[in-house]
Amino acid sequence: MIKLENISKTYRTRSVETLALDKINLEVKRGEFVSVMGPSGCGKSTLLNIIGLLDEPDQGKLQLEGNLITGYEDKKTAGMRNHLVGFIFQSFHLIKELDVYDNVELPLLYRKMPAAERKQRVVASLEQVGLSNRMYHYPSQMSGGQCQRAAIARAITGQPRIILADEPTGNLDSKVGHEVMGILTDLNKAGTTIVMVTHDESLAKETHRIIRLFDGRLVG
Amino acid sequence: MLKNYLKIFLKVATQNKLFTFLSLFGISLTIMFVMIFSMTFNKMVKGSGPEKDLKMMLFADHVKTESQGKNRSINTNFLSQSLCENYFKKVTSATITSMYRTDQWAFILNGKHYEKPYMMTDAEFWKVFGFHFLQGRPYTNEDIVNQNHCVVITQSIRNLFFGDEKDVLGKTIRVLQLQLTVTGVVEDPSSASQNISDGIFIPYTVMPWPYGQEPILGPYTVVFKANSKAQFPAIYKEVQDIITRLDRADDQWTITLQGPRNQFEKMMIGWDMSEDIASPIGKFMKYILWGLAFIFLPAVNLMALNFARIRERGEEIAVRKSFGANSGSLRGQFIFENLMLTLIGGVIGIILSFVMITLLGSSLSVPISGFDSVPVGFSFDLKIFGVALISCLIFGLFSGVLPAIRMSKMKPVIYLKGGEK
Ligand SMILES: Nc1ncnc2c1ncn2[C@@H]1O[C@H](COP(=O)(O)OP(=O)(O)OP(=O)(O)O)[C@@H](O)[C@H]1O
Ligand SMILES: [Mg+2]
Repeated sequence: MIKLENISKTYRTRSVETLALDKINLEVKRGEFVSVMGPSGCGKSTLLNIIGLLDEPDQGKLQLEGNLITGYEDKKTAGMRNHLVGFIFQSFHLIKELDVYDNVELPLLYRKMPAAERKQRVVASLEQVGLSNRMYHYPSQMSGGQCQRAAIARAITGQPRIILADEPTGNLDSKVGHEVMGILTDLNKAGTTIVMVTHDESLAKETHRIIRLFDGRLVG
Repeated sequence: MLKNYLKIFLKVATQNKLFTFLSLFGISLTIMFVMIFSMTFNKMVKGSGPEKDLKMMLFADHVKTESQGKNRSINTNFLSQSLCENYFKKVTSATITSMYRTDQWAFILNGKHYEKPYMMTDAEFWKVFGFHFLQGRPYTNEDIVNQNHCVVITQSIRNLFFGDEKDVLGKTIRVLQLQLTVTGVVEDPSSASQNISDGIFIPYTVMPWPYGQEPILGPYTVVFKANSKAQFPAIYKEVQDIITRLDRADDQWTITLQGPRNQFEKMMIGWDMSEDIASPIGKFMKYILWGLAFIFLPAVNLMALNFARIRERGEEIAVRKSFGANSGSLRGQFIFENLMLTLIGGVIGIILSFVMITLLGSSLSVPISGFDSVPVGFSFDLKIFGVALISCLIFGLFSGVLPAIRMSKMKPVIYLKGGEK
């Protein structure tokens, strides 16, 4: 469950002030698959970053899985990111120095978990995205679709309740995009809450609900 | 987790070869110099060759007489013959006591001019210092008492005077108007030796000190050798008691003697009058501070390199933060990486120091104690390993901690923008 009340965020640079989010009220129920749409610069990524505790709102209340976020103390937010959410990015953001296996294991390394269990989880999530035959490939040795599947495996290996996907198909052609969408739909069917930013109307239609943002405000 | 850090470290290090080379270069040269310096120092304090029992020795070599009143004067010197013979050689708490003096003699051989040290010693000298005799034997107490004109020479003196001749016992050499018969040939002492010169050894009774006899001041050093360090306090007390007695008996001069002191104290205090009372530890701390300053400069350099490279790691840091790394674990990671780098540099530095000492040996000298620089020496033990390790840690932490803090504070969102890969 994700709940935002009156969330605002302003970016300040020396010359400009950008109101990236303006009093957003939003609730995403557990198990929901929601897509976020809107023109470039309207605040979609900012919204996702705030939900994922990567960024701090100036105002408003945020609740994640029943936890009201009161402070943004480093250790606490890191722990919540680790346990509650899994991120998927448009440009994958795999660590290029590490192979697929090590990339997928990453979230588990920030938990106290025995090596055997980590291994089992990594293998299971790679199987789930159909990438068990590429375990020891490096990101540079794989196609965009394979990279994104590895990134999804990384996002789910910690078994988070929530997945935040920022244009996960943006760098992929439409066929591969649909494959990725298929994986996300399966995850959602298994109970994971998903918030996905997309520019693709047809993919958005496959989700339960479309949220539209315009200039930092919810519309429609 | 460390495995993951190690993988990243190796990848980053091998991908950015120039950086890795530059940093390893700085670290290993620094550690090399630290090692050469501390090994030489260690070798001198520990002793080797004839000085192998140096740890069991105390030296009395620095006596001071002061006169009060109108004609105030201070004299410092080694010890007089009578002070040694009548008092210090009778110290009972030491296992063996020896006296000796050292000087230089100049001579011309086959048209070439030489200057060599010589030592005038008693017979106990050979029991205190463990020379290896290649030929013959040391001179005895009888030789001392009878003022026999005998001499023990080192291998290099033998080669100088007798060339290829192997058996030189009974042959004579001329030293300072004296015709001396060779009774023994010893291996050359280590060049790091502070107490034994590489030359010839003559019974001290054969030739008295040419500048006359005084009651207290003179040219001699007394060395007390113990079987265990437990004897040291008693030796110290006995020596100081002698000095107190002599001082009381003499109403013109105030007599003081520093020590007897061990090799470390001897090197740290030396002859500097102003440091008569300075603690050897204090002087040693100065060395440590110089060492730290020496490490400090290249470490600042590496710190600057590290700062310059922070941005390269931005994406990785952002990804790690997204998946649960807190600032502490990121700091840990980068400090770990930097320590790995410095430890590798340290190992290279240690190897380099071995190579340098082996290749250049005694032609390389470092300014360590007293009067002039000392030829480098090789001595690796747990202490030296500790010095190397601690130097690496200081280097690594100093150059790594601040950049690591900066890295761990980076905001992840700016590195997670979408767009083209
Ligand atoms: N770090 C920042 N500093 C200043 N301004 C920022 C920063 N990040 C975002 N902004 C501004 O905030 C607004 C919202 O940005 P955001 O990245 O959320 O847009 P978006 O909807 O994700 O756009 P896109 O579809 O192009 O990814 C934009 O006007 C952007 O210029
Ligand atoms: Mg965006």
